[in-house]
Amino acid sequence: MITRAARALRHTWTLAAHDVGLWRRAPWAIAAALIPPLALGLLLYILTFNLGHQPIALVQEAHGRYSDHIAGIFQAQGGDLYSVVSTDQASAMRLLDSQQVAAVIVIPRNFDAAVARCPALQPNQIIHDYTYARSGCPAGKLQVILDNANHDFADDIRRALSETVTQFDAPDVITPVSETQLDMSDLNPYRVNVMTALTRANTVDYIHYAVIPCLVLLILSVGVTGTALLCARDIERGTARHLALAPVSSLVLVAGRLLGGVLVSLVVVVPTLAIATWSGMIAPPAGHWPALGLIFLATAMCAAGLGAVLGATLRGARAVSMAAAVICTYLFFLGGGFTTIQFLPTWLRLTTAFVPTRYAIDGLRQSLFYPGLYGFGADMRVLLGTAAIAVVAGGAVVRRAWSR
Amino acid sequence: MTPTLTALGGGFRAEIKQLRRSPLLAALTVVEAVTFLVLVTIFGLASSHVPTAVVDHDGGRLARQWAQVMMATYHTYGVRYMDARSAQQALGRGDVAAILYIPAGFSQHMAHHTMIRIHLRVDNVNADLTNDVELGIPPVARAFAVANHFPGIRVVTAETDLVRHEVGFIPYLVVSALTLAAFVVAGTLAASAVAREFETRTLAYLRLSPTHPLIPLAGRLLATAAVSAVAVAVAALLVVAGYGVTPDHPVEMAAGLLLCVVIFSCIGAGIGTLVRRTLPLSALIFGLALALYLDSGSLEPARFYGNRLWLIAHTSPVYYAVGILQYAVHGLRVTPETIPVNFAALIGWALLAVGAAWLGLRRAVVS
Repeated sequence: MITRAARALRHTWTLAAHDVGLWRRAPWAIAAALIPPLALGLLLYILTFNLGHQPIALVQEAHGRYSDHIAGIFQAQGGDLYSVVSTDQASAMRLLDSQQVAAVIVIPRNFDAAVARCPALQPNQIIHDYTYARSGCPAGKLQVILDNANHDFADDIRRALSETVTQFDAPDVITPVSETQLDMSDLNPYRVNVMTALTRANTVDYIHYAVIPCLVLLILSVGVTGTALLCARDIERGTARHLALAPVSSLVLVAGRLLGGVLVSLVVVVPTLAIATWSGMIAPPAGHWPALGLIFLATAMCAAGLGAVLGATLRGARAVSMAAAVICTYLFFLGGGFTTIQFLPTWLRLTTAFVPTRYAIDGLRQSLFYPGLYGFGADMRVLLGTAAIAVVAGGAVVRRAWSR
Repeated sequence: MTPTLTALGGGFRAEIKQLRRSPLLAALTVVEAVTFLVLVTIFGLASSHVPTAVVDHDGGRLARQWAQVMMATYHTYGVRYMDARSAQQALGRGDVAAILYIPAGFSQHMAHHTMIRIHLRVDNVNADLTNDVELGIPPVARAFAVANHFPGIRVVTAETDLVRHEVGFIPYLVVSALTLAAFVVAGTLAASAVAREFETRTLAYLRLSPTHPLIPLAGRLLATAAVSAVAVAVAALLVVAGYGVTPDHPVEMAAGLLLCVVIFSCIGAGIGTLVRRTLPLSALIFGLALALYLDSGSLEPARFYGNRLWLIAHTSPVYYAVGILQYAVHGLRVTPETIPVNFAALIGWALLAVGAAWLGLRRAVVS
C-alpha cells in the first residue's frame, strides 16, 4: 500500500516537474503570463502619483496681513494638496490656457479690507445680534478660475480650496484628539468640531494598498495561463491520448498536471516575494508568513484548476492565452485589486462577494498590513473551498478531454 | 494595376475567411476592448460618493440640512441614514466606509451658533480613502455655515468655470478608453495576421506573387482594419447608448477613431513582425495599452501631471487621439495643442506607422 502510494506520488511529481520544465522552455508563454500583471502593477503604481497635488497658479494682488496669511497657507499646503506657482495675473492666465495649471487663484486687492470688515469671533463671544448672521458678511473673495475638465478633477481642486479657506477661518474644524481634550474653540465660525476615530490600528499608504494585490494577479495569471497552455498543448499535439494510454491511473496524471500548474505559479511568485521582502516593499508582521503562504498556495490551486478548465475547453494556444488574460483581469478588478471595494456601489459590492479573488486580496492585505489576522479565517474558508472546487472541476474536465 | 488589386483583394478575402474560421478569437478581441470600458467604469465608480452612514440623533431641520449638504458637496459622500446599531454593523461588513454621528441638540446649537462636537468614525482601510473622508468634512462644514450665514466667515471663493457643462468622470473616462479599445482590437488583429505568416512559414510564398510580395499582406491588414473599425464602432455605440454620451461633433469622432484604427493596425503589424509569434501578442498589446493609458490624458488633461510626463505623452498617438475624442464627444480641450494640430499629428503618426510597418515587413519578407 505504502509502496503504491509512493509510486503514485513519484509519478505525480515526475509529470509536474516535466510540466514546469516545458513551461520554462516557453519564453513567449512566460511573457504572455507576466506582461498583464506587470503592466497593471505599473499602472497602479503611477496612478498613485496622481493623487493630490493640484497644479494651481496663485496671483497675490494684495500684500496685507490677511493676504499674506492665506498665501502662506497655500504655500504650506504645496506638495501636499497643490503644486503652487506664484505669478502675476497675465502669466497665470497663460499658464491656464496652456494647461500648465488647472486653476488660477487670485487674492484680490480688496481682500484685506474685506476680511477686516468681517471680524473673527472672539473667545466666549455670545452672539445676540442675529441680523448680522442673517445678512451675512461681505467676506474676502478669493477669485478662482477653474479648468473643470471633469467632475472628479474639478471636485478635487474645489475640496482642496475649501480645505485652504477652512485653514484660514477654522483651523480646528477637525481635531483628531482624545475626548478628554475638549478644545471647543470659540474662534471657529462653523460652530462644529469634528472628532475623527479610526477603526484600524494603522493606515496603509495607497501605493502599498494598491500595488501589493498585483501579487495575486501574478499568481493567477501565471497559474491560469501556464496550466491552460500545457493542457491546450497536449490536446493540440495529440499527446493527451498518449497520456490517457499510460499505465498510470488517471488521478495521478491529472494531479501531476495540476501540481505542475501550482508549481509554475510558485516558481514565479517565490522569487518575487523574496525580492519584495529584501527590498523592503513588503514587511509582514512576525508570524504572518504561514498565513501568506496559505493564501498564495490556495490562490495557485484556484488558478491551476481554472487554467485546466480553460485549456481543456478552448482550442488553440492563442485563444487560451487571450481568454486567460481577460478572465484574470476581471477577477482582479472585481476582487478589489484595482479599487477600494468600500467605494463601490452596493450592487457591485454584492457582486464582488462572489469573486474568490476578493478573499485572496483581503487576506493578503490583512496578513501584510495589520497586526492581527481579523477575518482571515473566513477569507481562507472561501478561498480553500473555491480551490477545492476548481481542482475537482479542472481535473474532471482535463480527464474527459484526454479520453476524447 | 489589376494583378495588384487582385492580390490585395485575395489577401483581404483570405483574412476575412481566417477570422470567420476562428470566431472565438475575434470575440475575445472584442471582449478585451470592452474590458477597458469596464475597467475605467469600475475605476470611475470608486472615485466618488464614499458610502457614509449618517446616524441622526437630533432629527431636527438643521441636522437634515447638514446631511443634505454632505450629499451635495463635491460628490464626496454617498449618504445613507441608519440607526447607530445598523451603522456599526454596516461599517464592520465594509458596506459603509464611515459613520457620522449627528448628536442630539445639533439643530439647537446651530440655531444659536454655539459649538458642538460631531463624531466621525472612519474605516481607515487605506490612506486614500481616509483622506477623502476626512478632507470631505471641512467643505461640508463650510458650505453649511455659508448657507446659514454664520458670522465669522471671513473668506469665500468666487468660482469661474472654463467649461460650462461639466462632464461626469465616467463619461470622460469611457471616451478616453475608446482609443485604447481601438489599440487593442486593431493592434491584436493586425499583429496576429502578420505573426501567423511567420509561424506558418507562408511568407516565402509571397515572394512568388506576380505583384509586390507585400500587397497580399496589405490586403490582410486592410481586412483586420475593417473588422477593427466595426468592433470599435460597436464599442462607440455602447458608449453612446449605454453611457448616454452624445458626441458634440460625430464626424470628428468617427474620423479620430478611424485614424486610430489605421495607426494601431500599422503598429500591430510592426509588433507582429518583431515578435513573430501569435501566443504572446494579445498579452503584449494589452500590457502596452495599459502603459499608454497612463500617459495619454485619459483621466485628466495630461499636462496637469507635470511637464515631464506631458512631454513623454507626445510620443504616443493615444495622447492626440484622446485630445480629438474628448473634443469631438464632450467639446473639451484637454491638450494645449489645437484640434487641427492633433489631427495633423495623428496623420503624421499614421504615415510613420505605415512606413515603418512596410519597411519592417519588406525586410522580413526579403530575408
